[in-house]
Amino acid sequence: MGTSRNGPQLKWLAGGIAAGMVLLGVMAWAMTVTDARPFCSSCHIMQEAAVTHKTGTHARLACNECHAPHNLLAKLPFKAQEGLRDVVGNLTGKDIPRPLSMRTRDVVNANCMACHAQTNINVASMDAKPYCVDCHRSVAHMRTKPMSTRMVAHD
Amino acid sequence: MTNRIFSFAFCVAALSTVLLAAGCQDVSTELAPPTYKTGIPDTELRFTPFKKEFPREYASYMKNNEDTVMTEYKGSVPFHKNDGVNPLPKGFKHAQPYLKNLWLGYPFMYEYNETRGHTHAIDDFLHIDRINRFSSDGKGNMPATCWNCKTPRMMEWIREYGDDFWAKDVNEFRGKDKINAMEESISCATCHDPATMELRLYSEPLRDWLKRSGQDWKTIPRNTKRTLVCAQCHVEYYFAHKDNAPDKKPIFPWDKGFGPEEIYQYYKEHGPKGADGKSGPFTDWVHAASKVNMIKMQHPDFETFQDGPHGAAGVACADCHMQYVRDDGKKVSSHWLTSPLKDPEMRACRQCHADKTPEFLRERVLYTQKRTYQQLLAAQEMSVKAHEAVRLANAHTGDRAPNYDALMEEARDMVRKGQIFWDYVSAENSFGFHNPAKSLHTLGKSAEFSQRAVDLATQATMFAIAPALARDIKETVPPILELSRAKQQDARFLEQHPWTKLLPVLPPNKQTWDGQAFTPPSAPSM
Repeated sequence: MGTSRNGPQLKWLAGGIAAGMVLLGVMAWAMTVTDARPFCSSCHIMQEAAVTHKTGTHARLACNECHAPHNLLAKLPFKAQEGLRDVVGNLTGKDIPRPLSMRTRDVVNANCMACHAQTNINVASMDAKPYCVDCHRSVAHMRTKPMSTRMVAHD
Repeated sequence: MTNRIFSFAFCVAALSTVLLAAGCQDVSTELAPPTYKTGIPDTELRFTPFKKEFPREYASYMKNNEDTVMTEYKGSVPFHKNDGVNPLPKGFKHAQPYLKNLWLGYPFMYEYNETRGHTHAIDDFLHIDRINRFSSDGKGNMPATCWNCKTPRMMEWIREYGDDFWAKDVNEFRGKDKINAMEESISCATCHDPATMELRLYSEPLRDWLKRSGQDWKTIPRNTKRTLVCAQCHVEYYFAHKDNAPDKKPIFPWDKGFGPEEIYQYYKEHGPKGADGKSGPFTDWVHAASKVNMIKMQHPDFETFQDGPHGAAGVACADCHMQYVRDDGKKVSSHWLTSPLKDPEMRACRQCHADKTPEFLRERVLYTQKRTYQQLLAAQEMSVKAHEAVRLANAHTGDRAPNYDALMEEARDMVRKGQIFWDYVSAENSFGFHNPAKSLHTLGKSAEFSQRAVDLATQATMFAIAPALARDIKETVPPILELSRAKQQDARFLEQHPWTKLLPVLPPNKQTWDGQAFTPPSAPSM
C-alpha cells in the first residue's frame, strides 16, 4: 500500500481510538457517579432516602445497585427515563410517589434476588409475598422508624 | 483541528466538573433542623409577627380555624359531648350520654365540648359555662391556673406575679385590656423560641416534672421534643393543695407512673395535710349524688400514648399530627393540628405505612375506636350505677350490716377508682387508638371496680337496695341532657330529674360576662 507507516490515517486511527477510550472511560465514570448516593442526594427531596441508605446495612452499595437493572442494555434506557422523570418531577415540585411505581418495585426486587439468591435457594421465599421487602421491611429505607431519624424540614 | 480536540476535552472537563459539583458531596446523617435568626424579640407572644418570615407555617397554622369537619368519632365541631340526641353542631351520634350525671357537682356538668383547633383556644375558654359568668363581682370561681394551657401570655404573667398568679381568680385576666384573644391563643411562642425558632418549653408544670425526674431540656433528643411540646398541655393535671405547694399551682401527677393505676395511687396522697403532718387523699370534688370524693381526669393524651404501639416505638406526636408537607418546593412541618383521619389520603400515616391503602389504615383505626367507644359507654353506665348504689346505701335507714362503715368506705373508694379509670379513657382524645390495649384494659378494670362498689354498698344494706338496683339504670337514673349555670337557678327545672334535684338552687343572677365584656349588675331594684 502506498501509505507510509506514520501516515495521517494511522494517526487518525490512533487518535480516534484514544479519544474513544477516553470517551468510554468518561462515560463509564459518569455512569458510576450517577449511580451513587452523593449524586442522587444532590436533590434535597432525596434526603430521606439517602440518609436512611447511609445509616442502613446497604450503605456501601450504590443506590442503583437496587434501583436500576444490572444488565447494561436494560440499565441505560432505564436510567435515562427515570432521570428525566425525576428532573421534571423535581422542577414541578412533585413529591416522591408512595408507594413507588410497580416498575421500580420489580427492579428492586429482582436486585434483591440477584445478590441474595444463594440464601434463598432452598426455600420458596417468593411464593407467599410478592416482594422481599414485605418481610424485610426496614430495608425499604427504614420507613417504620420515627420521622426525626429520617428527615428534617428544608430551609 | 487541535482546537476541536481542545474544545472537546474542555467540554468533557466541564461536564465532569458539573457532575462532581452536583454529586461529590455525600449526604449528612446529622439531620440538623434549619436554624434561624429572626430578629423577633424572644418576648413576642402574638402570632402575626411571625407571618412574614414563616408564611408557610403560618398558613398551615391558620388551617386550625376549620371547625366544620367531623370524622367517625372525632372532629372539629364543638358539639356537647354528652348530647347524643340533637344533630350537629349541638349533639353527635357518638356522644357519651351520662357525662353530666357522672360529673354532678363539678363544673364539667355545665358544659364540656368536643375540641377545636388551637386558634380557637381562648375564644372557647371565654365562652365555656364551666367558668362562672354570672357573679356580680365578676369572679369566675376558678383559679387563674386555668389560663395555663391557653396562652403563651403565661410566661409574662408568671414573670410578673410568680407563684402568686395561680390562686388569683381566672376572670382577673379575662378583659380585653388583659389579653388579646385572637393574637395570644396557643401559637408560635408556645413551642418556639421566637429569636431562633428552636423548640422550647413555656410550661411551668412540665419544666417542674423534667426537674423532678432529673431530665434536662438541653440534652433531650429532638425526637422526644417533638412529643414533649405537646405534653406541655395534652396531659392529666391537678391544682396543688396549698399544704403541699404554692396554692393552685398546676402539677402533673406522674411520680408513680403514667397509667391509671399509678395515677390513682398518686392521688391517695397530695391532698390537705392531717394533724400528723401527712398529706391525705386529693379530691377534685364531692359527687353531688353519692358524696364520694372524686378525681377528674383531663386529656391524658401523652400518658396514654407514650407506652402504646406508636409511643413505645419512639414515634412522636408530630410524626402523625405535623406531617412533612411539600409547599412550593419547600418541605415544612404541617402546623394544622387536627384529626389525621380528615385526610382522605391518610398521608401522615403513609410516611411510614407506605404499603397500606388509606382505606385499610382508616379501617384499622375504626376497629379500635368502635370497640373502645362501646366499652366506654358500658363502663360509664356501670359507674352511674355505682354512684346510685352508694347514694341509696347512704340514705338507707333500715337494717345495716355490722361492718357497714368499712364496707361503705371501700365502696366509695371503688366508685372513685372506677371513675378515674373510665375518665382516663373518656378524656383522652383518640378513642383508644393512641393505645388500644391499655384503653380496653382500663375500661375493663373500670367496670370491675364499679361493679365491686355496687356489691359492697348492697352488702352494707343487707341487700335491701338490691331490688332498686336490679332495674335498668337508664330508667332509674336517666342521662341528664341539659344542665347549665342558668338552668341551675331554676328550682322547677332541677326537680325534673332524680339527681339534679340533689343540687342546690343557684341565686338568680344575670350573666355579667359575655366573652371579654363585663356588665356589672344594675342597682338591686328587684
